Amino acid sequence: MQELPLNESPLLGESHPRGGRSRARPVASWREHHGWSALASLRRLMSRPVGTLLTVAVMAIALALPLTFYLLLGNVQKMGEALGQNQTVSVFLQPTQGGSAAELTAKKLRDRAEVASVTVRTPQQGLDELARMQGFSGALHTLDSNPLPYVLEVLPRPDAGADAVERLVADMRGMQGVDQVQDGGAWRQRLEALLGVGRRAVLVLAALLVIAVLLVVGNTVRVDIAGRSEEIGVLMLVGASRAFVRRPYLYAGIWYGLFSGLLAVGFAVLVELALAEPVARLGQVYAGKLQVDVLPPWLLAAVPVAAAVLGWLGARLVSAWQLRKVA
Amino acid sequence: MIRFDQVSKRYEGGHEALSQLSFEVGGGEMAFVTGHSGAGKSTLLKLLGLIERPSHGVITLDGQNLAKVGRGGIPKLRRRLGMVFQDHRLLMDRTVFANVELPLMIAGTAPNERAKRVRAALEKVGLLAYERQLPATLSAGEQQRVGIARAIVAKPMLLVADEPTGNLDPTLAVEIMGLFAEFQQVGTTVLVASHDLPLIKRMKKRVIVLDHGRLVADVAAEEVL
Ligand SMILES: Nc1ncnc2c1ncn2[C@@H]1O[C@H](COP(=O)(O)OP(=O)(O)OP(=O)(O)O)[C@@H](O)[C@H]1O
Ligand SMILES: [Mg+2]
Repeated sequence: MQELPLNESPLLGESHPRGGRSRARPVASWREHHGWSALASLRRLMSRPVGTLLTVAVMAIALALPLTFYLLLGNVQKMGEALGQNQTVSVFLQPTQGGSAAELTAKKLRDRAEVASVTVRTPQQGLDELARMQGFSGALHTLDSNPLPYVLEVLPRPDAGADAVERLVADMRGMQGVDQVQDGGAWRQRLEALLGVGRRAVLVLAALLVIAVLLVVGNTVRVDIAGRSEEIGVLMLVGASRAFVRRPYLYAGIWYGLFSGLLAVGFAVLVELALAEPVARLGQVYAGKLQVDVLPPWLLAAVPVAAAVLGWLGARLVSAWQLRKVA
Repeated sequence: MIRFDQVSKRYEGGHEALSQLSFEVGGGEMAFVTGHSGAGKSTLLKLLGLIERPSHGVITLDGQNLAKVGRGGIPKLRRRLGMVFQDHRLLMDRTVFANVELPLMIAGTAPNERAKRVRAALEKVGLLAYERQLPATLSAGEQQRVGIARAIVAKPMLLVADEPTGNLDPTLAVEIMGLFAEFQQVGTTVLVASHDLPLIKRMKKRVIVLDHGRLVADVAAEEVL
């Protein structure tokens, strides 16, 4: 044991006056401990990679599920819109209505605000179209006269609401000389309603899975704290405040959240890639052109941040409760 | 500095570990607490660190009534105390250096100042060469000295040590006691629980003797033979 001269020793000399945090550098030391806690908790997570990975994976899947549903919903909606754009309402006039009557009805319809365009198809055009279809040409030759009526193809404006289109269809049904109105847009309403249900379901699902993420983080941190109760006891004995003791666990929550958020984004992008090709093909078949809906970049960036906040929250809730028991 | 006024401590379901204990230790004084095993030495020290609360009576520390120190105030109080525990209470997964550094981390001391003080404390207990080792690789006596280094590193106003020389050979025990005396010389109040009577006699400091939780003798330093 070496003897240090008393007055030169950094140990001896005036004892800690009031013992608290060194007042000269509270911010610096606070920041330093945050840095230390962040690193120490990260090192602890890395020291048991399997457990950490499992926790992170469970959380990531919980987060990826609503993302995936959101993605699907977006694509279904896009497809609905794309299909809806060429969705015309066919108005079959009575066979007694001639060309001038058809033009007159068409003009009346064109004057309506919710109508984008009206195309008049003559019986001859209808017949030609039928003739082009295989198998019909022979049968048509046997007809003496053209049995087809004038048809008005009414295209509602894309921005016209479902209600307006419905009113338009009802009005057209009541118009003089109209035999039948075939509204292919009805399914659009059904899809719209279905999408509404889907959107609500995604919200509910997201809320449930957010709770699941909180529970997973909370439980992991709870087990962590329980396993380190001895260390926590020692820290408290040498004067650590609860905030000080808790800090590494809060950072552990943040790390869990951040990593699972990143992994969830990875999962969602994989799903996106897996869906891209079949969705594009489906779009081609139905609507000719369809942009595949992708998750917006802001959402991809927001998920890890939100997950980190969730992790912090879960750790905070559990540690507050757990440390009350330990100390 | 320390004042016990009719202090009793009854553990839950147990008998009285301390009964109606009254004494005072002045600032800068050094005193031993001795007595048979189970006399209540550790209990007395634990009351000072607010590890236990008294069942009756008033304890005053540096003019502060400890009963008035709430949960939130405990860390602040403990930071002004250096405690050496009978069972060391070291963190087994952190190096000797990190263990000794703890109180300074908690106090928010700057890193370079911390390193300087930790090394000085380790040097004092003769363990500078062990700073990178884990406590488990140290002997019981060495671990005890790490605990002592941790207790003195933050320059506490009161040093409380429970059997600090329990695992040390006589020569080392004398050196460690000398170290405590050194701290007393620079103004720190020191309270040491020990049943090593020969060593206590040698130190020529005040001795408080407990028997079944009662104070049976309070021998002033000059009267120690
Ligand atoms: N946590 C506890 N719960 C119940 N009884 C306790 C507790 N701690 C100590 N005791 C009892 O209080 C009495 C005093 O114990 P204490 O540890 O203060 O003795 P001591 O003088 O330090 O003994 P030793 O020299 O063996 O360390 C003993 O009878 C002990 O059994
Ligand atoms: Mg004891």
